[in-house]
This record gives sequence, C-alpha cells and structure tokens, in this order.
Amino acid sequence: MNRNEFIDILRKKLYENNVSDVEEIIAEYDEHFSFKLSDGYSEEEIAAKLGNPEEIAMQYLAGNPERKSGAKKAIVVTGLVFADIFAGAFFVLLFGWILVMSAFTIATAIIGMCYIGGFNVYSLIPPVPHYWLGIIYALMFFSLAVLSGVGIFYCVSFCRQLVRAYGRFHRNCISSASGKAVLPPLPTYPQFPMKTQRILRRIALISLAVFAVTFVLAYISSALAAGVLEFWHAWKWFMN
Amino acid sequence: MNIQYKKGVIELCVLSMLYRKDSYGYDVSEYISKRINISDGTVYPILRKLKSEGLVTTYLSEESGGPPRKYYKITDLGRRQYLADKAEWLSFVRQVESILEEDGNE
Repeated sequence: MNRNEFIDILRKKLYENNVSDVEEIIAEYDEHFSFKLSDGYSEEEIAAKLGNPEEIAMQYLAGNPERKSGAKKAIVVTGLVFADIFAGAFFVLLFGWILVMSAFTIATAIIGMCYIGGFNVYSLIPPVPHYWLGIIYALMFFSLAVLSGVGIFYCVSFCRQLVRAYGRFHRNCISSASGKAVLPPLPTYPQFPMKTQRILRRIALISLAVFAVTFVLAYISSALAAGVLEFWHAWKWFMN
Repeated sequence: MNIQYKKGVIELCVLSMLYRKDSYGYDVSEYISKRINISDGTVYPILRKLKSEGLVTTYLSEESGGPPRKYYKITDLGRRQYLADKAEWLSFVRQVESILEEDGNE
C-alpha cells in the first residue's frame, strides 16, 4: 500500500464513521509520511508500520467529540459580535485621531511655508514685522510638522498592528470554540526593525530639540523686537 | 499483548511525554513507537482522545520554511490526571510484581 492508497482509505473510512475534522486527522498522517520519507523509508514501509487504515479509522470512533461544540460556538460568536462593536468604535476613534494629526501636520507645514514665502493669505497668519523673525517661526513650525509626522507614522503602524492582532484574536476564538488548533497571538504594538526604530527615534528627538530651541528663540527675539514681554499685544495679533 | 490493554498504558506514556514538553504529533509517535512495540498509527487516535477529554490542547506554531505545525500541550487537568494515574499505575505494577514473584519462589 502506498501513501495515496493509505490516505484515501483512511479518509473514506473516517467520513463513513462520521468522525469530525477529518482533514485535520489526515493532515497529521500526511505529515507522518513526509517525516518518514525524509528519513529514507519507502511509502510501503511507512504504511505497513502505521497499521491498517481501516482499524485506525475505527480507533477514532472512541475519541470522537460530541456535537456539543455547536452551542458553545454560538455563545462565542455572540460574544465576539459585541466585542466587535466596541473594538470597531475604538478603531474608528483611532482612525479619527490619525486624521486630526494629519490635518495638524499639513497645517503647520503650510504655515511654515507662508512665513518663509512671506505671504499671508487674508491675514490668517499672525504677522511679524521682520522677515528674519518669520524664518525662526517657520523653523519652529517645520520641526513641529516633522515631529507630528513621526507621530502619525507610529500611530498608523500601531493602528494597523492592533487591527491585525484583533483579527487573529477573533479567528482564534472561533477556532478554539469549534475545537480547532489556534495560531499564536500577535503582539499588539508595531514591530519595527531596529534600524527603523533608531531612525524614527532620532528624527523625533532632533525635531523636538529644534522645536524647543526655536520656540524659546522665537519668544525672546519677538519680545526684544517688540520691546515688551507680551509682544502679541504690541503687534495686535488677537485684535480684529 | 492485547491492543486495548496497551492503549490505556500508552495514554499514560503520551501524557508523561507531554508533561515534560510540548510536542507535535510525529514527535510523540516516534518517541512511543521506539520504546513500545505498537504500530505507528496508534498514537494519533490517542492524542485526539486525550484532546477531546480536555487533558491536552493543541496550538499551531509558525516555523520558518514550512507550514504551521500542530503542537500538543498538556492542560492543568491533564497534569493532575497524569500524576494521579502515574501513582496508581506504579502501585499496581508493584502489586502485580509481588504476586508474580511468589510464583517464582516455588
């Protein structure tokens, strides 16, 4: 008897005996053949050592789990549906947060460009009396844009990983309720390679440092240029 | 020896192996059939029976360069059952031995 004959008889008998998860059982015997073949045994030898497939199929009758798993599965699925509602709302919130962050990043970058370009559409941006002061402001806004850009990158990766981990959890719940084997859970935080991690951290740190320095610098130089500490009153920023 | 008679003992041997470490089906089959004279195919139905009784569970482990492998892991219930069965088996063997030795003393 060769591999295919053995597997075919076993499969046929298992189905005849109404054994559940036949393919899972077949996969195990198939794997047995693969292991033994790579050890140098012939298919006939392996089949002979395994024993009579009809007798093996009979042995599965004793250990056949009853069909009670149907009710258990229904409970698990119901629970998962409720979990999905909450998890879904949470994911929408995360997605919204990413949108807000993106808008913030784009806005700060545009403000920075306006200061550098020296244009001020409809006086939307607080005007500064000196161009060099505008450059400091621009640097400040650019570093802020880069910082929140890194934040978005991390947020998107986190969101993606969380959705994947939740998907795996979801699948495993159903698998274990129906008595199938489960896959290992995925980590909930993103797994960056060391190099990416280093680069991200460096960009974030540098932009944070630049932002802090330019922020202080912008305040001091603005106050000096205006001659008062509350320079925004002198330049009438918040008066229309 | 009678196959049904052996099967109960093999269950104990399988639990003993899984008590030490998680293993995949082929591992268990090799371990047992190298030590006890049974056909290789006997171990898989036993593993499944143990699983349906809740003494072991399975999980898939993703390994590089191959499909995920199904590992068997002993449960807490399985551990308790194993330790109780082991003690019972060992005392049974001693009782049988003492009976058989009386015969040898004639």
